[in-house]
Amino acid sequence: MLEETAALTFRALRKWVRNPASVMPGLFTAMFYLALFGSSFNPANLIPAAYASAASSFLKADFGGAPTYITYLTSGVICIILVFNMAFGGIDLVLDRQLGYLNSLLTAPVPRAAIYLSGVAQNLAKVLLLAVLTFIVALFIPNGLQLPASFGVVDFLGTFVAFVLLGLGLSFVFTALALTVRSIDSLVAIVNFLTLPIMFMSNAFFPPSIFPGWLRDVADVNPVTKANEAARLLIVNGGALTSSELGTYEADIAYLVVFAAVLGLIGYLAAKRALRPE
Amino acid sequence: MADIIQAEGLTKVYHGKVKAVDHISFHVSEGEIFGFLGPNGAGKTTTIKMLNTLASITEGRATVAGHDVAKEPGAVRKSIGVVPQELTADDELSGTENMMLMARLHHVRGSAATAKIGELLRLVDLEDASRRKVKTFSGGMRRRLQLVMGLLHEPKVLFLDEPTLGLDVQTRSKMWNYIKGLNKDRGLTVFMTTHYLDEADSLCERIAIVDHGTIKVSGSPAELKAAHGGDVVTLKLSGGADLTEFFSGIEGVSEVAREGDVYRIKLPRAERALPAIVTGVVQKNLEIQEISFSKPTLDQVFLDVVGRSMRDEEASESDSAWENIRMERAR
Repeated sequence: MLEETAALTFRALRKWVRNPASVMPGLFTAMFYLALFGSSFNPANLIPAAYASAASSFLKADFGGAPTYITYLTSGVICIILVFNMAFGGIDLVLDRQLGYLNSLLTAPVPRAAIYLSGVAQNLAKVLLLAVLTFIVALFIPNGLQLPASFGVVDFLGTFVAFVLLGLGLSFVFTALALTVRSIDSLVAIVNFLTLPIMFMSNAFFPPSIFPGWLRDVADVNPVTKANEAARLLIVNGGALTSSELGTYEADIAYLVVFAAVLGLIGYLAAKRALRPE
Repeated sequence: MADIIQAEGLTKVYHGKVKAVDHISFHVSEGEIFGFLGPNGAGKTTTIKMLNTLASITEGRATVAGHDVAKEPGAVRKSIGVVPQELTADDELSGTENMMLMARLHHVRGSAATAKIGELLRLVDLEDASRRKVKTFSGGMRRRLQLVMGLLHEPKVLFLDEPTLGLDVQTRSKMWNYIKGLNKDRGLTVFMTTHYLDEADSLCERIAIVDHGTIKVSGSPAELKAAHGGDVVTLKLSGGADLTEFFSGIEGVSEVAREGDVYRIKLPRAERALPAIVTGVVQKNLEIQEISFSKPTLDQVFLDVVGRSMRDEEASESDSAWENIRMERAR
């Protein structure tokens, strides 16, 4: 099964690599969020200058001590990029079905699980590259992402463990969805319905501490919130985590592992159903 | 010869109400080219889908290469090659890369894969173009690539769904030669669908005419033509008396139609009756202005069996957006 999964994933990525411009729209979206949203909605600027000291303590307390708003926003934007690109990445799979390519796999002795897993893997690979690029771009924005001196390779990897687990869970569910729907229209309708609430009911842009209670309750269990929380701990503090911060990081990662595992199971069962003979 | 495909009472009902295939039974012998001929929507593609495990069987059963399609789909997939109606080769990959992917999916590896790919591309005259991306291929080249993409694992049966859809006449006859070659040289059994009458006539050893999900008639093209068509002599005379009765009296003539001075005489073997017809006209002191005779075509058989001409069907072909895109790619 691994051989087929690898062959199919390789095919998709090879197509993608030959058309490098295809990462541009996603990268522009990330840049606009970081540079434009990050500048215009910077909470430090939303508070009048007369309350500057209150503003700085608000930033410290509620934004996890991030030195700039864009530092806070970077992991949020990466999560949003994960959600959106993962969700719309399914369009390729719907096209594969509509153009008959999927049928040519189904009549070959290819395990159905390999068809599903290659969809998961190709989506994940594309989106993670975009996430890395977004992270790098954020560093070059003026007043942008400012990493602490102690931020090293291990912290970078620790940050991306959170993103990979979130991305994996999302890829499991959105790949299964793309194999299930029969038209791009219905995929776009469902995905539009899902992505905005996932984005706004999380700590991607602002801390849930400023949300109304009901929204905070939802945001607190949103895996996007967990991934952001874990990633921000490292982005803001680098290698210098207190033991309670480390505990939070570990709990978030454990939450994301369970999230990915559960969606993996659901996604697999849904995909198996979707790939049955018509 | 042994039957390599057997279908008994094969039925497909979609969503509990649309009966796409209605109790179809047939068999295909090893090494045969067998064709399903019928208008769009007759149930041809659905039948192929049931045989190659893409569609579940509502009722009845089928075996392919000795394996029950419903019970051993994996074994069936290993012994078949499928060339779908759609052009599924990847635009962004080269011909060789497309072949390589199919080889890996069929567990054909290493130098065996390279040798096989080279051999098959040579077979359809694509070796020179094999490094080019498929998006630069013409419609005919794409069809040829598609044809051999289904052959990497040396299947026992090849399913061809409308193998020449959207191709011009010249390219079509080239495709026919490739298909005939595969069948003759490699003993490959071919099950194909088509809505081109000439294609069925030229390629298939046996055909089944399907309409509304059922087989109306089956046999070799020659048998079907003999049974349902017969020859037609068309004759234009220079006025004179009505000869309908005289022509009807000639041995073997089954039908005479007259329109002004033009007579259409239907009979089994025109060559034998021609002398009698000509002598008769001359004896009555009439002059023959035009004479011709035609051998039966499958179109006549189709008209006879289905009750309408295949050509009427083609005008009403589906023109959905996807159909257009497919045709676009086929160009």
